[in-house]
Amino acid sequence: MSAISNPTGTPAQASAYLTSFLNKTLHIHISDGRMFVGQLKCTDNERNIILAMTHEYRQPSQRDIRLAAENHEQSGGSGNVKVDMKKRFVGLVVVPGKYIEKIEVER
Amino acid sequence: MGDATSRLRQEAEQTPSYGGRGVRDTTEDFTSASSQLQSGQLVKDEFFTLFEAVGALEIMDPKMDSGYVAPGDTFDAEFDPASGLDMTEVLWIMDQLLCLEISWHDGYPLSQTVFTSLHIDRLLSPDQENRDPTFYRLARPPSNLSETQSLGHQILRAYCIGLIKCCNLALLLIQSQNYYEEEDFVTHLFGRELLPQVKGDQASWILQEAQKRLGEASGISQDVRRALDDRLKFRSEYLNTLVEDGSNRWEDMKSSMDSIQSSHDLARPVTDAFSEKVQRQLATSTPPRPMLQISWDLACRKWMDLCQDVVLAHRLTEFSISSSPACLQRAVWAFAYRGEPCALARALLQDLLFNNGGVRGELSHYDLLLTDIRDLVLAGDPLTDPESFQVEVTSDPRHICSRLIEGFMDKAIDEYLNLYRMVCQNRCRIRRTFTQAIPILDALESEAQQVDAKLSAAASSLKIQKKKTGRIVTLEPLTSWTKFYKLRIMTWAVQLGFETEIYLPDELGKMYWYLMQLSRQRSQLIGDIDEYTSLRKQHTQEKNTAAECLTAIQWYQSLYDYATITTLLSLALWKLYTLLAHTNIIIPPKRDFAKSQLLYEARMKPFLSVVNDSVPRHQDFEDAGLQTDSIESTCKDIDGSLKAAKSLLAGLKKLTPEQGRFVGTEDEWKKEIKQLETTCVAIAVATSQLLMASGKYGQDKLEGVMECRPEKRYHDWWVVPMLKEKTAITK
Repeated sequence: MSAISNPTGTPAQASAYLTSFLNKTLHIHISDGRMFVGQLKCTDNERNIILAMTHEYRQPSQRDIRLAAENHEQSGGSGNVKVDMKKRFVGLVVVPGKYIEKIEVER
Repeated sequence: MGDATSRLRQEAEQTPSYGGRGVRDTTEDFTSASSQLQSGQLVKDEFFTLFEAVGALEIMDPKMDSGYVAPGDTFDAEFDPASGLDMTEVLWIMDQLLCLEISWHDGYPLSQTVFTSLHIDRLLSPDQENRDPTFYRLARPPSNLSETQSLGHQILRAYCIGLIKCCNLALLLIQSQNYYEEEDFVTHLFGRELLPQVKGDQASWILQEAQKRLGEASGISQDVRRALDDRLKFRSEYLNTLVEDGSNRWEDMKSSMDSIQSSHDLARPVTDAFSEKVQRQLATSTPPRPMLQISWDLACRKWMDLCQDVVLAHRLTEFSISSSPACLQRAVWAFAYRGEPCALARALLQDLLFNNGGVRGELSHYDLLLTDIRDLVLAGDPLTDPESFQVEVTSDPRHICSRLIEGFMDKAIDEYLNLYRMVCQNRCRIRRTFTQAIPILDALESEAQQVDAKLSAAASSLKIQKKKTGRIVTLEPLTSWTKFYKLRIMTWAVQLGFETEIYLPDELGKMYWYLMQLSRQRSQLIGDIDEYTSLRKQHTQEKNTAAECLTAIQWYQSLYDYATITTLLSLALWKLYTLLAHTNIIIPPKRDFAKSQLLYEARMKPFLSVVNDSVPRHQDFEDAGLQTDSIESTCKDIDGSLKAAKSLLAGLKKLTPEQGRFVGTEDEWKKEIKQLETTCVAIAVATSQLLMASGKYGQDKLEGVMECRPEKRYHDWWVVPMLKEKTAITK
C-alpha cells in the first residue's frame, strides 16, 4: 500500500495519513543520538509516539571502538575496523515528541 | 566454538542491520500531520489499549528509561576490568560477587545483582569480537601488568567463569522443577547468555589451573593466599556439585564458607568494579533498578542456610526415612518450615524426590504409594503384599485384586506425589494448590468406592466378623485411604489460611469451628481404620501379620490423638473468639457489600464442591457464631478442652520415632509438641483474663474496656488472641 503523501488541511486527513503508519516499523531518532526501531501503536498531536517490540540502537562508545581496534590489532588484522551499533530489546516504549529529531519508515 | 561462531553469523543475518531494508524520511510530513490533530485526539491501533500504554517505558525519563544518560555522565562505567588489581582488591570483588549471587538466589534479578559486575559484564558482553571459549579479553592481560597483577587477573577470571557456570547450572536445575517465576525466583537473562560454549568441566579446569598457579606464586602474603584459595576452592566445590550428578559437596562448602567469612577483613574495596550502568546495555522492559546492597554477614548466613538446607534435603530423603511414607511426608514438611528455603534448595529437594524414577533413584514412586496404602489401611493384609502382584494365574483372586489396585494407583499417583511436591513450594502456593487438590481427591474417592466394591467381591480379607457381636465389618480400604488424604488436605488448607492471615479477626471463630468439624471427621475415620486393623490382628494366625497390625495400631493411636488435639484446641478457640465477638471486644469491620452469605461462600469456596462428605451450610456457620451458655460456663468448657489436650500432648511426647513415624524429624516433632503446649497455656491465660474482666466490669460493659491486641503465635497455625485492659492513658 502506498502511503498517502503531503497531508493538507483537515484533522480527518491528518488522522488518515497518520493511521497509514500504524503497525509499520518506524525508526525514531532522538536528541541524545539513540534510535528506536519498533512498530507504531499510537501517536497524538504532540508527536508522542508509542512503539511496540522496540529495539534501541546506540552508536558504539569510545571504549567500544578502542577495544575493537585493540582486538583487531592483536589478532593481526589489517585495514579498517568495523564496529556495530549497540542494540538491545526494550519492548514497549513511549518516545516524547520533544526529543524526536527524525522519523523514518521502513519501506 | 564452531557452533557459537556459526550461530552468531546466522543471528546477524536474520536481523537486518539498521537501514538494511531501506527507509524513507517522513519527519516533515509526520510532524505536520500530528500538529493538525486536535488536542487529546489519538491515532492508535484498534487492538492497542490505553491500559497497555500505561506499561510503556518513557524514553528520556531518568526513572523509566534504563538507557538514559544524564548530561555530563558517561555511557560506560569508568572502571576498566582489564586494569591491574591488588590481590586484596581481587578478594573484595570475589566477596562482593558472593553477596550478589546469593541475592539472586533470594529472588532478585541478575540485572540488579551479578550482572552489575563489570568483570562479569566483560565476559558476557555480546559486543565481544572474539568469542573463543578460552581466550576472553580478560584472559589477555595487557603487557603492562606486574606478574602478581596478571595472576590476580587469572584468578578473578577463573572465579567469574566458575560463577557464571554455577548460575547457569543452578538456573537449569530450578527450571527443571516446579517454581513460581518472580514469586520465588527470576530466570530472566536480559538478552545475555551464560557462556553456553564453556562446559562445566572446562570451567572447573580453569579454576583448578588458577588454584595451582596461586599455590606456586611468590610474593603474596600467606593469609591473602589462603583467603584466595578458599574462595577458589568454594567455587570449585559448588560448581562440581552442580556439574556431577549425585555428588554432594555441600558439607565441604559449609566449612569453606566458614573460612571465607573470617578472612573478609583482608579485602580492600573497589566499589567502581560494579556499576548500575551495565543495565543500559541489558535487554529489559523494566525501568532501571538499583544494585542490591546486602551486608557481608547476612550474605554469609544466607549461603550457610542454602548449604544447610541442601545437606538436610539429602538427609531427609535417605532410605531410612523414605521407607516410611509417613516419615517422608513429615520430612518434607520439616524442610518447608526451616524458614523459607530458597528456590535452588527447593529445586534440589524436588530433584531428589522425583528425578531418576523415584526417591533418590532408589525407591520407585509406585512402591512409595503402595507402602503408603499398606501402612495406612491394609497393614498385614495380603492385598498389598508385593508378592501378590507377581501372581500370574488370572483366576487367582490375588491377581485380580492386584490389577484392581494397580489401576487405582495409576489414577492416584500424580495427586499422591503432589502431596510431596506441593510442600516444596512457597507457603501461599502450598495453600492454593491444596485448595485445588480438594475436588480432585474427592473425585478420586468416588473412583475408589467403585474399586473397593470390586475388591470386596474378589477378596475375602475385607470382611471380618466381630467376635463379640457377630456383626460383619467391611473395610473399604481405598476409599478410606483417599478420604484420609482428602481430609488432611482440607485441614491443612484451613490451617495454612490461619498462617497466611487470610481470615480477619471476626472470622477466626467460625473458621476454628470448621477446623473442629474437619478434625472430628478425621478422628472418626482413623477410629474406623483402627477398629478394622484390631480385628485383623485378632483373627490372624500369622505372627508377622499380627506384629505389623500392632505397629500400625500404635501409629493410628498417635494420629487419632493428634486429630483429637486439633479438635480440642479449635473448640477452645472457637468458643473464645465467639465470646470476644459477643462482648464486642472484637468488632467486625464495616462491610457495605459483603453479606454474611457472600462471606461464607468466599471462605468455603474451596470446600463447597466436595460431594463425599457433608460440608457445613451457611446456616450451620451462622449457628456456630451464636453463644448459648453463660460466660462462666463457656470458660469452663474451654478449660476442660485445654486440659484434655494437654494430657494427650503428654502422651504424644512419650512415643518413639518409630511409633509416631517421625524418624528423621525428631527435633521438629518435639518442637511442635512444645509449641502446642505453649498454645494451650496462652489460650488459658486469655480465657482467664476475659473471665476476670467480666467479673470486674460486667459482661455487657467490656466493649472499649478490653482490647484484643495483635495476636502472638506460638505455632503458625494457632492464632491466640492477646487480651489487655485498656489503660486510662490510651483511652
